[in-house]
Amino acid sequence: MGTTPLLQVNHIDASYGFLQILWDVSIHIAAGEFVGLIGSNGAGKTTTLRTIAGLIKPSQGEVVFRDQPLGRVPAYQISRMGLSYVSEDLNLFTDMSVHENLLMGAYAVKDKAVQAQTLDSVYGLFPRLAERQNQLAGTMSGGERKMLAIARGLMSNPKLILVDEPSLGLAPNLVADVFESLRKLQQSGVTILLVEQRVEATLEITDRAYVLEQGKIALEGPSRELRNNEHVKTAYLGI
Amino acid sequence: MSTPQARVVQTSIMTQLSSNKPATIVLAGSFVLAVAVFVTSGPAQIINTIVTGGMWALLAAGLALVLGVMNIPHFAHGESFMVGAYTAYLVFTPINDYLLDHPNPFLSAVAPFAGFAVATVVGLAMGVVIERLIFRPLRKRSREGWVMNTFLLTVGISFILTNGATLTVGPNYQGIPRYWDVRPLQFLGVRVTVDRIVAFVIAVATIAALWFFLRRTRTGRAIRAVSQNEVGAQMVGVNLDFIHTLTFSLATAMAALAGACLLFLFQAYPTVGLKPLYFAWYVIMLVGLGNVPGAIIGGFIVALLQTVTQQFIGIAWEDVVPTIIMILVLIVAPSGIFGSEVKGIQEQ
Repeated sequence: MGTTPLLQVNHIDASYGFLQILWDVSIHIAAGEFVGLIGSNGAGKTTTLRTIAGLIKPSQGEVVFRDQPLGRVPAYQISRMGLSYVSEDLNLFTDMSVHENLLMGAYAVKDKAVQAQTLDSVYGLFPRLAERQNQLAGTMSGGERKMLAIARGLMSNPKLILVDEPSLGLAPNLVADVFESLRKLQQSGVTILLVEQRVEATLEITDRAYVLEQGKIALEGPSRELRNNEHVKTAYLGI
Repeated sequence: MSTPQARVVQTSIMTQLSSNKPATIVLAGSFVLAVAVFVTSGPAQIINTIVTGGMWALLAAGLALVLGVMNIPHFAHGESFMVGAYTAYLVFTPINDYLLDHPNPFLSAVAPFAGFAVATVVGLAMGVVIERLIFRPLRKRSREGWVMNTFLLTVGISFILTNGATLTVGPNYQGIPRYWDVRPLQFLGVRVTVDRIVAFVIAVATIAALWFFLRRTRTGRAIRAVSQNEVGAQMVGVNLDFIHTLTFSLATAMAALAGACLLFLFQAYPTVGLKPLYFAWYVIMLVGLGNVPGAIIGGFIVALLQTVTQQFIGIAWEDVVPTIIMILVLIVAPSGIFGSEVKGIQEQ
């Protein structure tokens, strides 16, 4: 590649109070890649994303995004630098309409023309949201909320989007919808870091993946190779 | 695919009402009371109610905003009212004294507005200083026991400000008989002083401006976003520090403006803010914490309860009856008649 990666996570440790969750985690993502982060419950996947998004500061190591160390950058600035985080609990504005949620997603975008253009393309990507523009986010179904959260994350025209467990709690046909929209996203040029428990599906759509076990990176490599890895097969794919 | 809930396209006060019994009962009861007051005492009392109601709404909206966005139960809100009253007094009286010797109709018409404007600016500044000096450092240190800690802090601020006022300007009542020395206007056969009319117009205009700001502007939307989901707001790039300071300073300025507008009615003295504070809290508990539109409606309901009490029971019961009604409402609807919850900070 030659150029430095879009995101570099260098040897980070992270803790909640006295409880250390991440141990020496390193991840790098190049522009345009679709990377998966898989692991079982409690392995530290969400903590990794929260640390990258700046909601938790690492106790050791650093996160570098677009060549800038994020150590002293507040969370709201990180999102303005082009890093969107779609969290597991979505953090939607439930008493606002779909449209207002999307406008909030573009909070840092000052240019009205750019904003309108992004809104159009996001509605193109998620036609269901376009139908429900005026509905309050809190009254939408689970799948629609996930879509809204992803759509809101896209409204800032991010360079990198972190997506946490989009399949959680969704009916199988909706999971397929969400994964399909992620695939479309990558084709449109967005770099994605996807955290998932659905290992098989994740390894199918991502280019590369990391396996997180008990707060440490256990394995990494191209997703195709990981699918044939003996450890992954026995521990995650149940083969 | 459409669930029954999914058909709720917009929640407005009206749609909330259709499924909200306590609110319907309180609003219907208020309407009946208003009619009763109108029939027995004529439109004068209704106009009185509307004027005080506008001011309670202004104060309560600030309280609701601070509670909803910052999770602070603000018990020094009355002192913002007090500072506004003093500021207006200190600005208006010298101009008024000067006017006694040099009559100038234009200046006497605009002099009170100078008092209002300075009081608002002082309120804005006071809000910024208190937020930056007290709440921000606490927020950075710890969110543990936030509501209780900030409650105690605001009580402390209230003590310091009332005693500071006693120390600097003295414990005496300082006030004015009226802002505009002109004949009262006729309204539906009732004489209403210009002071009251202006106070009402200012309250309505300020509330309308606040409404527009929160609903239609980018920054106002960010304020609502912070009150609904703080982490989500950070994730889309909202600077929480800025929103918190702005919210607190807007609330303080609205209370100061109310104090300035009602100087002719309340006068200025160190503890003048207590009664407005209590009434604003009645409103907040009645309608639900952190609910700004509810606070506006509630302001008028509480003012009406006051008027009714004065008319039918006696002026000494003015505080008692709203309290009793409030307790009854809380027994039936513990989160207030419009039943909103404060969702800001506790998830951290």
